[in-house]
Amino acid sequence: MNATRLASPSALEDFRAQLIKHRQEEKTTITVCSGTGCLACGCEKVSAAMHEALVASHLDTVVELKRTGCHGFCERGPLVVIHPQGIFYQRVKPGDAKLIVDQTIKAGQTVHRLLYTDPQTKQTIMHEADIPFYKKQMRLIFGKNGHMDPTSINDYIALGGYAQVVKALAMKPEEIIQEIIDSGLRGRGGGGYPTGKKWATCRKAKGSPKYVICNADEGDPGAFMDRSLLEGNPHSVIEGMVIGAYAIGSNEGYVYVRNEYPLAVKNLLFAIEAAGELGLLGENILGSGFDFHLVVSRGGGAFVCGESTALMASLEGKTGEPRAKYIHTVESGLWEKPSNLNNVETWANVPVIIEMGAKAYADIGTTNSKGTKVFALTGKVNNTGLVEVPMGITLREILYDIGGGVKGNRNFKAVQTGGPSGGTLIVETSERKIHDSLVAHGDLREDEEALSLLDLPIDFDELTKAGSMMGSGGMIVMDEDSCMVDVAKYFLNFLQEESCGKCLPCREGIRKMLAILTRITDGQGQISDLEELENLSQVIIDTSLCQLGGSAPNPVLSTIRYFRQEYLAHILEKRCPAGLCKALVSHAITENCTGCHACLKSCPTGAIVGTPKQLYSIIQDKCIQCGACYQICQYDAIRRVKRGEGEAIQQRARDLWKPAAKPEPVAAK
Amino acid sequence: MSFEPKIIGFLCNWCSYTGADLAGTARMKYPANLMSIRVMCSGRVDPGFVLDAFRRGADGVLVCGCHPGDCHYVDGNHKCMRRMPLTRRIMKGMGIDPARLRLEWVSASEGARFREIVSEFTEQLRRMGPLELKEIEFDPALEGAHHA
Amino acid sequence: MAKVNIKIDGHPIEVEKGSFILEAAKALGISIPTLCYYPHMTPYAACRICAVEIRDGKGWSKIVTACNYPVWDGMEVLTTTPRVLNARRVNLEMLMSQCAPVPVLQELAREFGIDKPRWGTGEDTCILCGLCVRICDEVVGAHALAFSDRGIHRRVATPFDDTSSDCILCGACASVCPTGHITMEDIDQRTVIHRDLTLGPNAAISLPFRQAVPNVPRIDPQRCIHFTTGGCGICSQVCPKECIHYDDVDTFEEIEAGAVIVATGFDNFDPTPLKQYGYGRYANVITAEEFERMNNAAGPTGGHVVLENGQEPRSIAIIHCVGSRDENHHSYCSRVCCMYALKFAHLVKEKTNAEVYQLYIDLRSFGKGYEEFYQRILDEGVNVIRGRGAEVIPSGNRRKDEGPLLVQCEDTLIGRFREIPVDMVILCTALEARRDAKETGRKFNISVGADGWFIEAHPKLAPVSTSTDGIFLAGTCQGAKDIPDTVAQGGAAAAQAMKLLCLGEVLLDAAYAEIDETYCSGCRLCNDLCAYSALEFDEAKKVSRINPALCKACGTCVAACPAGAITGRHFTDDQIYAQIEGMLT
Repeated sequence: MNATRLASPSALEDFRAQLIKHRQEEKTTITVCSGTGCLACGCEKVSAAMHEALVASHLDTVVELKRTGCHGFCERGPLVVIHPQGIFYQRVKPGDAKLIVDQTIKAGQTVHRLLYTDPQTKQTIMHEADIPFYKKQMRLIFGKNGHMDPTSINDYIALGGYAQVVKALAMKPEEIIQEIIDSGLRGRGGGGYPTGKKWATCRKAKGSPKYVICNADEGDPGAFMDRSLLEGNPHSVIEGMVIGAYAIGSNEGYVYVRNEYPLAVKNLLFAIEAAGELGLLGENILGSGFDFHLVVSRGGGAFVCGESTALMASLEGKTGEPRAKYIHTVESGLWEKPSNLNNVETWANVPVIIEMGAKAYADIGTTNSKGTKVFALTGKVNNTGLVEVPMGITLREILYDIGGGVKGNRNFKAVQTGGPSGGTLIVETSERKIHDSLVAHGDLREDEEALSLLDLPIDFDELTKAGSMMGSGGMIVMDEDSCMVDVAKYFLNFLQEESCGKCLPCREGIRKMLAILTRITDGQGQISDLEELENLSQVIIDTSLCQLGGSAPNPVLSTIRYFRQEYLAHILEKRCPAGLCKALVSHAITENCTGCHACLKSCPTGAIVGTPKQLYSIIQDKCIQCGACYQICQYDAIRRVKRGEGEAIQQRARDLWKPAAKPEPVAAK
Repeated sequence: MSFEPKIIGFLCNWCSYTGADLAGTARMKYPANLMSIRVMCSGRVDPGFVLDAFRRGADGVLVCGCHPGDCHYVDGNHKCMRRMPLTRRIMKGMGIDPARLRLEWVSASEGARFREIVSEFTEQLRRMGPLELKEIEFDPALEGAHHA
Repeated sequence: MAKVNIKIDGHPIEVEKGSFILEAAKALGISIPTLCYYPHMTPYAACRICAVEIRDGKGWSKIVTACNYPVWDGMEVLTTTPRVLNARRVNLEMLMSQCAPVPVLQELAREFGIDKPRWGTGEDTCILCGLCVRICDEVVGAHALAFSDRGIHRRVATPFDDTSSDCILCGACASVCPTGHITMEDIDQRTVIHRDLTLGPNAAISLPFRQAVPNVPRIDPQRCIHFTTGGCGICSQVCPKECIHYDDVDTFEEIEAGAVIVATGFDNFDPTPLKQYGYGRYANVITAEEFERMNNAAGPTGGHVVLENGQEPRSIAIIHCVGSRDENHHSYCSRVCCMYALKFAHLVKEKTNAEVYQLYIDLRSFGKGYEEFYQRILDEGVNVIRGRGAEVIPSGNRRKDEGPLLVQCEDTLIGRFREIPVDMVILCTALEARRDAKETGRKFNISVGADGWFIEAHPKLAPVSTSTDGIFLAGTCQGAKDIPDTVAQGGAAAAQAMKLLCLGEVLLDAAYAEIDETYCSGCRLCNDLCAYSALEFDEAKKVSRINPALCKACGTCVAACPAGAITGRHFTDDQIYAQIEGMLT
């Protein structure tokens, strides 16, 4: 059903009541998650197959098929949920569509094969909410995602959307700002600046017009929550911006979104048009006399354009380069007018606060960090995906309860948060070498026990204290196969390419630091390199123009802090403990070999020789240390050892080797 | 001996006469058929002068002035430029070939051009032969009859 | 504007709120190194070399860039703390690892005592200070330059690395570049030193020429950036007396004068069309005017005779009659070249050890003392060859000790073809009439000859007068001549003009037109004919009258009067008819 322009708050409520009434017919609905993760898993084909199956069964008029936004559990995509029962199917293939229609829709039975099985209890779980992945989450921002079609404003309104605009327009702007200040909301883009304070400064700033801007230039490797939000529920961001604009006294807004997010751009444009048609955006919103126009500006994909001044320069059509922020953007930003920039997630929090009230919102979280935070959980963890958790939750809860623990038969080593600007946190501090590292760094006395960071409550201040930062919410889990020097190198390499190059310390300093790290991983490092890295880091932090450079040394500094021993192993022993740095590692086949032939087939250089059911071996001169055999070996027969020691290990294996009867494969890595 | 035409030249003081002078001082040779009369400006040349010259036996009349735009008296030569075609029409009515009247522009520095014009005009008149005007007795009665 | 109090290195100073630390430090005479700062542009803060430490006195401190950090009350600035010096030093060394040869960096390195930058020395010359990009953007307003790529690939480029159509060739980027990374490429392939040799200004704002009167600079709107893009305006910012007025326009001044002396001079013949001499192609083929400029002690080379590469020439050929005595260009003799060519030879001998070859058609040393000078030059050992320079070609480095240019000629005295290897060739270009001589001639109503020289009233009897009363000629506008002749003619012209002025009244020619009122019918036909408004109509008597003081006696009205009432004195109808009659009988 369609509505014409809604001229008053009551018209919106009438329209909402109609929508809800229309929906209360208990219509069976099949929702297919169409978030980025599920799209990558092929949900489009699932959706198409589902439609075919419904048509074949002549159910297409009775059963509604809906494509929704991201549910967050990307590891298990594509996800299908059947309403009103709430049956949650995961890893659905197109071929399963007919089965679901036949068994669940027609016969009312569940397909057990497609239900989620708890790896711990080995029990199948029927409802989404009961899955451990969701249990500990608090989905204030992402809650609506799974229940609505992002392209349908009616869905959003039926779920209570735009009610907060009504509420806000009835308040005085100062009251709204006070509400946001009281809620304790801090910017979700990374810096954690109090949002209410920013709004208040912008409202007071002299100059007209004022602009509100949404930063959707999400560039951290591995982070995709802003994307999922814009793709899955663009209206929540629009609603937040309308409220913010009203509070600040702005009539013009921009959403700066990466052009690499085509679906986000499409859904957002669609949402803006739909909201405009209903009179929820544009001139005289809901008859209140307040105008707000929202424009989508697409960015070219430069990481640095996520920086506020660079973003505004890019919006103005100039080169996306930061300028000094000695005069803040809330005073003089876009076109030298007061401009209030918040990121997608922050804006999405605004309607939630207005709905809950500042007090209720402030009850969530820690003293100085309120509300929830969305993390993109990736890396060597069982349940990857988007998780929304209350501030103050511990790393342990995120990694074990939500993340389901480490993948494979491996130990946790570290968690990296905050993207390239953030730092690496260790998880297990009981290890002797990490203890030594912290002592060397001066964080601990010799006789002190290091606290396990697994019990670190996650909020802005704690993360900063631990040498990392919240950042936009990327959370990369690393196991013992990750080399910390290599991780630091990876981020510096990213930053070297993404630095705008305007200021010298960032442009040249990152290059120099990367050169030193490369030297270390090549086995050419010297002990003085660590000191030089720290000196360089200090200068880069001190003199960089913007926070891209200012935080660029973080990955290096935090890894040196917690993993000094690993650096020393590279430098002094010319050994890579994780066996990742090719110049420092040799591969060798041990007596565990069953002669299964898998490694020989995987070797790209033909370095592996042997006959089936016999001991295989690696010709050391031909091996390029790519690690393909290591990954494929199911019997833990391939070892990464210090460079040059491979042949000795293989020699010993020849002495010890016995043909195995039928060994059990070790779990996959 | 071939026919030698008599040519009367009206040369303006500032350009053409000086040009002719230059031709002379430069010892350029040109036919002696031309007899020059200096006037201050080609604008001074009264059609009556031209007709009188023909009446008195000239075979050709050459009027020379400054190049258009270069007139010492701003636009005297423009006046001349308009008078000469009218004079030619009168000549035609009198039975004189209009080609016997020539108007040329010669600047003070164009001695060579002056020589060429004179030589060429002389040659042309030579080919045309002498101007033969018939003496018609004035008959007042006839004149009166015309008016009647 | 509100004032705030700050301290720099312990020295208190009161400065305007919102101004930057660097300006305050400058006022105190405290030096802070900068690389990307330029007073007339918005601070960019890219080089970070101007880092200083600020403190609030309560234990808080921060490193900021002095060039763009606005001062606030109570701020303490420290410019030489170990943290600051280390930051500057590390940044400098990092920059040197890319661009070591840059002189400004070398100088800073000496200040910091850096012998060997720890990350090595790179050979790039662009320090990415952005001055060029910003001057083009902010000051010039042409927006022809920008940074391309990002991170370590950042570089200054024109859009798409193509020749920029927005570039106005102002050269501001090259002039502001602190490292010489940006150079101007001369499209004519002429090297810079020789471009400087041409007379007159090269900058948009300059004195018209040395010893100009009045001796004040002027702006050439063709070269001025402000007139091209509306940007820049730096000169008006720096002029303390506010003398720069961009809205000044050319005005026409009317001067009432009793006499006019036309002394508009000559143009130099452009030898470029004479392809055989290679002017414009070979850097060391220059014109006499350029050589003259080179000899000027205050000129671009300081009076030294040098080649394009700055070395002293070993041999010089002087080719006479370039463009003069040439059927294809000017058939006349330019009169001055022989003697100045001899003077050049004398100067070269005086200043260098170079061999000099004079290639002449005829040596015309006709003036007083000239022949004696010629003899003296011969005594000085100058090679004088009778034969026109035929062609100048590159010698292809036949021998190292010979010049790279070969001058070919036929030595008509010995009857042989010769090739002379030289380092430098001087072309004695013709004097020619000014390009606008025709226009000037028309303006003053004076005659212009075929060569473009103005024509005097009479070559012998009135050599400085013209066909127009009160207008006189002086100098080379009348014909090629040397300095003594020019001075003499100038004196004569001045005397002629003075004669008119001293008299105080104008002597009129007796030739003018008169109207016999008895015959005038008052038709007024004549009134509009007169270019001098000498004819006016007497309303009372209904007749036209002539003002004899205005009448120039052209006679146009005489010929036009239908009643024959007008008589041109000295050229009466009767007189002319009598002449016709006399000639034809």
